[in-house]
Amino acid sequence: MVAAVKAKKRSGSGIFNTTWEPFIYLAPFLIGIIIFTLYPFFNIILISFKEGYRQMTGAFESYGLDNYIHILTDPYFINAIKNTAVYVVFVVPISTALSLFFANLLNQKIKGISLFQTAFFLPMVTSVTAIGLVWKLMFNDRIGVINAILGLFGVDPIGWLLDPSMNIWALIIYGIWNMMPFTIIILLSGLQNIDPLYYTAAKVDGASSRKQFFRITVPLLAPTIGLTCIINVISASKVFGELFPLFSGRPGTAYNLFTVVYYIYYEFNVSYHLGYAAAASVVLFLIVFAFTMLQLYVQRKWQYY
Amino acid sequence: MKLHFDIKKFFVYFFLVIGALIMIFPFYWMIVNSLKTGQDMTAYPPTWFPSNWFNFDNYVVAFEKAPFQIYFMNSVIVTISCLLITTFTTIVGAFAFSRLKFKGRDLLFSLMLGLMMVPFEMLVITNYTTVAKLGLIDTLACLVVPFTSSIFYTYILRNFFLSIPDSLYYSARIDGASNWKYLWRIMVPIAKPSLVTITLLNAITCWNSFYWTLLVINSDTNRTLPYGLYAFMTEGGSDTKLMMAAASITVVPMIILFLFARKYIVNGVARGGLKG
Amino acid sequence: MRIKVEHLTKRFTDTVAVDDFSMDFESGKLIALLGPSGCGKSTMLNMLAGILPVSDGHIYFDDDDVTDMPPQKRGVGLVFQNYALYPHMTVLENICFPLEIQKVNKNERIAKAKEMARLVHIDEYLDRKPKELSGGQQQRVAIARALIKNPRLLLLDEPLSNLDARLRLEMREEIRRIQQETKVTTIFVTHDQEEAMSISDSIVLMRSGVLMQEDIPQVLYDDPNHVFVASFLGNPPINNLDGYINDDGDFVLDDQSAVIRLNEKKGTKGEKVILGIRPEAITIGPDYNTKAEILERYTMGKEELANIKIGTAELRVYISRDQDCRKGDVIDLVLRDKGVFLFDKTTGKRL
Repeated sequence: MVAAVKAKKRSGSGIFNTTWEPFIYLAPFLIGIIIFTLYPFFNIILISFKEGYRQMTGAFESYGLDNYIHILTDPYFINAIKNTAVYVVFVVPISTALSLFFANLLNQKIKGISLFQTAFFLPMVTSVTAIGLVWKLMFNDRIGVINAILGLFGVDPIGWLLDPSMNIWALIIYGIWNMMPFTIIILLSGLQNIDPLYYTAAKVDGASSRKQFFRITVPLLAPTIGLTCIINVISASKVFGELFPLFSGRPGTAYNLFTVVYYIYYEFNVSYHLGYAAAASVVLFLIVFAFTMLQLYVQRKWQYY
Repeated sequence: MKLHFDIKKFFVYFFLVIGALIMIFPFYWMIVNSLKTGQDMTAYPPTWFPSNWFNFDNYVVAFEKAPFQIYFMNSVIVTISCLLITTFTTIVGAFAFSRLKFKGRDLLFSLMLGLMMVPFEMLVITNYTTVAKLGLIDTLACLVVPFTSSIFYTYILRNFFLSIPDSLYYSARIDGASNWKYLWRIMVPIAKPSLVTITLLNAITCWNSFYWTLLVINSDTNRTLPYGLYAFMTEGGSDTKLMMAAASITVVPMIILFLFARKYIVNGVARGGLKG
Repeated sequence: MRIKVEHLTKRFTDTVAVDDFSMDFESGKLIALLGPSGCGKSTMLNMLAGILPVSDGHIYFDDDDVTDMPPQKRGVGLVFQNYALYPHMTVLENICFPLEIQKVNKNERIAKAKEMARLVHIDEYLDRKPKELSGGQQQRVAIARALIKNPRLLLLDEPLSNLDARLRLEMREEIRRIQQETKVTTIFVTHDQEEAMSISDSIVLMRSGVLMQEDIPQVLYDDPNHVFVASFLGNPPINNLDGYINDDGDFVLDDQSAVIRLNEKKGTKGEKVILGIRPEAITIGPDYNTKAEILERYTMGKEELANIKIGTAELRVYISRDQDCRKGDVIDLVLRDKGVFLFDKTTGKRL
């Protein structure tokens, strides 16, 4: 009897799979994650505390906070943080506001709307490097189309990519353009999830379109807008690839436009200070982590939608 | 009343046209400038059209100056290998996380979700060392190897798998189907739309991948399009019209993909969120 | 195939879904597992199918102990409540699937599938996808798929609950017909007593994981062993009155507002009881001994229902159409022998 009970227990957990079977399915997935995500994540944190670390030999002098002290007092890193923050502060709100405006227009049931949607979404699939080259041409101070158009309004040619003080604005304009398709798609799908009954009810009550937008659309869309903003803050904090085509691989005309990720790249790949790169990586992670926590918090709070 | 309606509609179209023009202008500008002659380029203000719409000289010269056909093939090889491997690991992983029962499953899955917020930029330093130790630096393989598993796609597919009723599984198992058979004969065909979406998003990411390639590839013959293009810019001087031709070669395949599969891509982004 | 269940128990972390369940299921019969939701009937079905491991006890198919046998080896066909058809396969492919798994050659399995499709009257739709079929047609496909591998036992989980009223009547006849043509032992789960009464050879009534009574439908109705059995079967439901037995062996309402004379004096004096009176179990006539007031009359086609009041207790009963009484009238009535039961108040058991 005891034996029978034991036998049952065994089959109980695995009527449909043996105990080892799930791990065979998981293995291909897990191997990749462990080697290329889990291990490097902890390893980089460790490296960030190793002073005098050598990449290939793995040798180091001692554990300590040297790397952090260095980057936090390094004017280039401070500048990178500042630039990244300015970039985020301008790109995210502006692209979100514009996206909200256009998402609303794209939500209208009018002729040719799918053509317009295609046009608005198109930048999403393109490489920042390739299309960045086009922006480089458009920003050109002599033959660039942007200065040409501004010239029509009597604006003197601007050295977008030459004048260090203008560099970040070029990056921001390109960033806004780049971020919009994704934001529009998310907001548009949020708009399409709003029950049309609300609008019918508002129309019956005689609310104007403006009123409908601010009293129904915006409040009901608020959670989606909030989440897109946070996701966009996270992705904008990692601005990097855009710099290469615009400034031929340099961070701005006069090394004035370091961003956090560019700093990591630079310390790692150009000046070979792995410890500094690792410490900067950890700082980047903390930024992303903070905003992800905020995202989860917001998501939970707005669960009732 | 009628007049009011028309004005509203007019403004909707007006702003849509302006917005759409701004969004697609860089693409237009890329194509136009890739077709311009040297004389066209020097004009100021710049001309809106090339003098000859069928001037493909820049493409010919670009191909002469740098092996874009090789870059293109490398991009194709890397993207397809990535898709095949990642899709496979995603399918079996998502199956284990949704259908199979084992101890610690939910804990393991939470850990995976936690790892999802680790930015790739943070991992490159160690991953560089890892592929170097594997002896893969400057090979096409190292553009694939670190990307064989994706938590994000596995997460999306797992959620879809969870929406398939349990009864289908029990039914198939009672009929004697193994887990493996059930996965490939029942679940995967049902999940086809999700799989198409995942594959497309992954294809876009792979094709446009730049940062990692920049770090690990040196040889001319192992460059993919975005990196080849960047190298062309830094090495090949500043002949803009050639660069526009080269950029077109990189961008056009993705535009074509987008035009054909817009619905899947847009749905995928709308449902899952993040780009890249 | 005869199925024998011994002391079957299923414990979940904080509940006991099936509790020490023992009985024999007769071979070749259509058996209903009946009970309110949460009574453990689906758990029971899943244990028979082998989807759920048992906590205790044994299941025998004929003489084989299948308790620990994996489901695919038990030779059971299971039809799920939502039919569980594979949405990407045609009807034919769905029906063929079990044979495909058994690696039966293609021509053979298609021939067999067509035979099954004819049996369940779905042969016109072989090339359709499940979503192009009505609920009833999907049900037929699911039954064909369950039957194609010649199961020893066919299990149906709430087979009619996803259908609309008209289809439900049609499909329950169909299930009966298919079962009689194939003679396969069939157990179906339902919470609908009418469904169980109308087509099954035998009903197994469960409550809170415990077997309450098992018999042919008529016996269950006419001779319930428990107040729960009496209450669960029958529509309109049985009238249960709370009271006690007086010195004469008759029934007195708890508030002493009325005495009802019983034909069979089963209770002992002073005992707390429940008196169950089926709606059809009264006769009205001038000389009878229990007074009741007519509160309302309803026409139900061939019969009429009335709400009546005996003392303070309200009852719903059938009266004949030509009975001349109106709302407000006071009538005399007597209980019939059949359809009147006394139950112990504390245990609910039949006296």
